[in-house]
Amino acid sequence: MVACTQVQPWQRGILAKEEMAWKADPLESALNDHIFFSKEASSGGSSAAGGGCGCN
Amino acid sequence: VKAKTSHSLIALSTTALALPGIAIADAPPVESTLSYKISNYKEDDLDREESPFGDLGRYDIDVHQFQLITPIGRDFSLQIDANYEDLSGASPWFTTLGPDGSPVVNLSGASGIQDRRAELSIGSRYYLENGSIGGNIGYSEEDDYRATYGSLSGERHFNNDLTTVSIGMSYSADDIFPVDAEIFGRVVSENKSSTSAVINISQIINQVSTAQVALSVTQQAGFLTDPYKLRDTRPDEKTQIAVSTSYRRYIRSADAAWHVNYRYYDDDFGVSSQTIDMSWHQNLGRRFQLIPTLRYYSQSAANFFTNVDNFLRPETELQSSDYRLSAFGAVSGGLSFKANMGNWTTTLTAERYIANDKYSAHEVQLPSTALVKYFRVSAGVDFSF
Repeated sequence: MVACTQVQPWQRGILAKEEMAWKADPLESALNDHIFFSKEASSGGSSAAGGGCGCN
Repeated sequence: VKAKTSHSLIALSTTALALPGIAIADAPPVESTLSYKISNYKEDDLDREESPFGDLGRYDIDVHQFQLITPIGRDFSLQIDANYEDLSGASPWFTTLGPDGSPVVNLSGASGIQDRRAELSIGSRYYLENGSIGGNIGYSEEDDYRATYGSLSGERHFNNDLTTVSIGMSYSADDIFPVDAEIFGRVVSENKSSTSAVINISQIINQVSTAQVALSVTQQAGFLTDPYKLRDTRPDEKTQIAVSTSYRRYIRSADAAWHVNYRYYDDDFGVSSQTIDMSWHQNLGRRFQLIPTLRYYSQSAANFFTNVDNFLRPETELQSSDYRLSAFGAVSGGLSFKANMGNWTTTLTAERYIANDKYSAHEVQLPSTALVKYFRVSAGVDFSF
C-alpha cells in the first residue's frame, strides 16, 4: 500500500480498459474454471464457488 | 466554470469505470450485453499400452454458454447465465497391473457414456455509493447429478476507491443418482454439500497496474466418492483452502495488457497444488486483439491414491485410482483472436492441455495412467445494446 500512488478517478482510463479487467472474457474464464475443476483436484480462487457437477 | 469542468471530468471518469472491463471500482453496467459461446472439448484417445482392452475413446463434449447482463433502473443489475453440455465418451473404470508390471486402465462401458448437463443461474446486484451487494441462485441437472446452489457477496471501496474489499459465501446441495446402479452394484442415491467463503482485496497500484489477493475456504460433506469407479472409497468430509494473487499491467509502448495469476491450494485429502497462468492481451489497432495464454499446474497425490486398485482390501478402507488424485503436472497454452465491430464482438479460441506425471513439481511415488490431454476450440459473440 505504501508503494501505491494516489490515482485520481480521471486518471483511471487505462484501468477501465476491457483488457485490464480481472476477467477480460467472463465466459472463457467460467469455461476454464469448469474444465479445471473437472480434471484436477484443486478448486477455489478469487470468487465463491458455484454448483457442483458429476463430471468425471 | 472550473468547478463544473472538474465535476464533468469526474462524471466522465465514473462512466469509464462503469465499462464492462473495469478492473477495480464497481458500478451498474451502462448497457446490456448478450453473450454466446460454443465450444468443443475433445480428450485424446488412450494408447493401447495404457488400456489393453475395450474402447480407447474418451470424452467429447459440446458446450453452449449464454449470458445476459443488463442494468435495471439506476442501481441494480441482472445477470442470467445458461449452460448446456452434450457429452459422449468414456472415463476410467478401474486399474490393474499390465503384462509388463505397469498399471493399465479399463474404461467404462464398451459403448461409452452419453449425458447432458443443463444449468441456469440468475443473479442480481445492488450498487451503493461505496460498494455493492449481490447474490445469485442456480440449478444444474444431469442424467445422474443435480446441484442447487446460491451465493451472496458484498464489496466496499476504501481509500478514494483505490482499495476494494469483497467477501462472498456460497452453498451448494448436490444429489447423486448413478445410472445402471443395480446392474453394477453402485449406490442408488446419495448427496453432498459444499459451503464456500472468500475474501478478496484489490488495490490500484498506479495508473497502469492493479493487484489482487484472495483467500477462499470450502468445506465439502457427504458422498465424495466417485460412484462409477469399480473400487473407490473417499472420506466424507473435505476442507479446501486456496490463496490466489493476480496482477494486471498495461504496457503503453506495446499497447498491450499483461495478466498473471498465481494460486496455492491445499486440502485435507493430502493434495496441495500450485498454479501459475499468464496472458498477453495485444491490441492490433482499435478493432482487433490477439491473446496468447500459458498455464502451468502441479499437484501432489491424495493420501489414499493408488495407481493399481487393490480389490483384496475391505471396501471401507480408503482408496482411489482416480488420476485426478495422483501427483501430476499439466501444461496448457491457448490463443484467442478478438474482433470488435461496433456493438458486436467475436472471439475465436484454441487451447491445448497436456497432463503428465513427468511435468509434476511434486514428488511422484505412484505415477497414474490415463492422465488427460485435450484440445478445445471455442467461438463466441457478444452483442451490446
